[in-house]
Amino acid sequence: MTPMWYIVLAAVLFSIGAVGVLVRRNAIVLFMCVELMLNAANLALVTFSRINGTLDGQIMAFFAMVVAAAEVVIGLAIIMLIFRTRRSASVDDANLLKY
Amino acid sequence: MVKLPPMDYAAIMPLLILFGAACLGVLIEAFVPRRARNITQLLFSLAAVIAAMVFVVKRAGNVTAANAITAGGAITIDKAALFLQGSLLVLAFVSLLIFGERTLEQGGAFVAQAAVTVGSEKDKEQAAKSLGSTEVYPLALFSLAGMLLFVAANDLLTMFVALEVFSLPLYLLCALARRKRLLSQEAALKYFLLGAYASAFFLFGVALVYGYAKAVDFASIHTAAAVGAGNITLLITGLGLLAIGLLFKVAAAPFHVWTPDVYQGAPTPVTAFMAACTKAAAFGGLIRVLYVGFDGLGWQFTPVLGAIAALTVMVGAVLAVTQTDLKRLLAYSSVANAGYLLIGVLAGGQLGLQSVLFYLVAYGLTVIAAFALITLVRDADGEATHLSRWAGLGARSPLFAGIFTFLLLAFAGIPLTSGFMAKLSVFGAAVDGGQTWLVIFGVISSIILAFPYLRVVVMMWLSEPGESTPSVSLPGVLTSTALGVGTIATLVLGVAPGLLLDLADKAAAFIR
Amino acid sequence: MSLSAYVPIVGLFALAGAFGLFSVAAAPFIGPRRFNRAKLDAYECGIEPTPQPIGGGRFPVKFYLTAMLFIVFDIEIIFLYPWAVSFNMLGVFGFVEMVIFIITVFIAYTYVWRRGGLDWD
Repeated sequence: MTPMWYIVLAAVLFSIGAVGVLVRRNAIVLFMCVELMLNAANLALVTFSRINGTLDGQIMAFFAMVVAAAEVVIGLAIIMLIFRTRRSASVDDANLLKY
Repeated sequence: MVKLPPMDYAAIMPLLILFGAACLGVLIEAFVPRRARNITQLLFSLAAVIAAMVFVVKRAGNVTAANAITAGGAITIDKAALFLQGSLLVLAFVSLLIFGERTLEQGGAFVAQAAVTVGSEKDKEQAAKSLGSTEVYPLALFSLAGMLLFVAANDLLTMFVALEVFSLPLYLLCALARRKRLLSQEAALKYFLLGAYASAFFLFGVALVYGYAKAVDFASIHTAAAVGAGNITLLITGLGLLAIGLLFKVAAAPFHVWTPDVYQGAPTPVTAFMAACTKAAAFGGLIRVLYVGFDGLGWQFTPVLGAIAALTVMVGAVLAVTQTDLKRLLAYSSVANAGYLLIGVLAGGQLGLQSVLFYLVAYGLTVIAAFALITLVRDADGEATHLSRWAGLGARSPLFAGIFTFLLLAFAGIPLTSGFMAKLSVFGAAVDGGQTWLVIFGVISSIILAFPYLRVVVMMWLSEPGESTPSVSLPGVLTSTALGVGTIATLVLGVAPGLLLDLADKAAAFIR
Repeated sequence: MSLSAYVPIVGLFALAGAFGLFSVAAAPFIGPRRFNRAKLDAYECGIEPTPQPIGGGRFPVKFYLTAMLFIVFDIEIIFLYPWAVSFNMLGVFGFVEMVIFIITVFIAYTYVWRRGGLDWD
């Protein structure tokens, strides 16, 4: 089995995440879709690392994981702030800013 | 033993100073008593920015092709990076002055505890008397340090980390407004979700480029792309995904949708900081990726980016016409300006780079002054940003209305302002670079964009002040300084742009 | 491969067991003894057991705060592992870098502690 299939899997996961952000309405779910995209990128990095025969990709995945964790914390803080005020995490309800 | 990468500490000193100062700022937050915090933090961050500036200037004297790349190949401190770092530091210094303003409103523009639920008893209590949050200074320093790293990154991973380091604090800063907290939180949510989305695209682009070039540093990508071996689709797709991430940050259409909401909802000092510094940093990163990393592709992507530039200038200008809120108007104007800058980027060559570098500084200083002025026009609910409220302001306060008129004329690109020189150099470079069709779009967009600016001017001067016309608060020392620096720079760069143009000309060289 | 490679692991197990035994054995002698109804309840990760907690399944916001702090500090480990594995090769420079890294994490910790992020009430 060639490692290229993992790239295909990564691309599929990335696309699911990308479409998910566009069609879902709950901020938490949106956020999970973004995380899915980041992890798809991690999978691609690790697979390319295997294909290229260099370790760089794995190291990069580490950095991406730490960055993603920092993003989770900030994102959850912001979403919670909104949720506590509005009692809803739907991005459609956040509609004060327009035009 | 592993051989250690060579570290040129003199070159990365500005970065070390800013990151160190941001960490110390967190400690100040933890240990200095509440009342003394604001002044301590403000002076400390300004001192850090000045110290970093000193090292940037010192370094600019003795940078060569041989000593530019350092930190194990992760960072390039070449002349372009130093120019961008220097301008970022200047712009951030001026914005930090507006951050520190406390005379316009008790406690400043920032809420004490963003976690307190809007509308609760505790919220009313903190709105009435509490001091403002001072975490904004370390956050701004972290963000600034990330920007400095972003424009000097020599590989895509460093760039991704720097991108997040400068974005994450900005998401938080957006949520910290003292007035209109719901708007502020909503702006933060939108900025965060779309920003995280864009950075995920960027990361996947990094992965694909790594798959193609077997490395992520710009020299290797350049070589691999120039040779053109292997599956070129990987490289093109990778570049496309990278470009989405970067174009989001520069607010180019169709990735600009966050800009008006975030500019309007965020506290105005933060908006000023974002409009000036984020734009400079993002364009710094974009030109480095295109000129250094993907030059080997032979600029095949010019038509695509050209279409985006044309779309951006038109969308920004046309939508600016329909706006009724000043902050949103300036946001759409900033979208259009991103388009003009993209035209300069696509002009290519020495002239294109020089014009982009000049434009970033000129636009940044003007936009900071404009937002500084917006913080002054207030009523009981805080800033009055609706256009109708500005009617008749010329009679109420001729001085400030005059300054704002001047700034708007600079945005419109009237001669004797920096905006004119900046647009002239960008469009001139584009004609030189054979992108005349983009210049045509740029000029049409400038003409459309002049209309909303002139409407504001006409409203300010030709309407009678009514009952609801807000008063213009007298600014404190800090805001006056920021406003003065921005306005004078707009004038000086319009009348005598030679010095900065020369500097930008010398700086317009990347080292691979 | 000889079994001697496993000696450190066995040693670690022994140490861990000894620490557990020691803690349990020492607690009655050192710790204060106060009666508390909660101590007799079933243990469910800090959440009050059934019936549903007050508010019909909503948890106090403090749990989220704690979880977020946990994520931030937990993920730092990711840099410690590779360093620990290649400690011998990285030498003093790596050690100094790691100390600096931990200092920065500690600064964040100090901030959280001083600003009351670790107080439950």
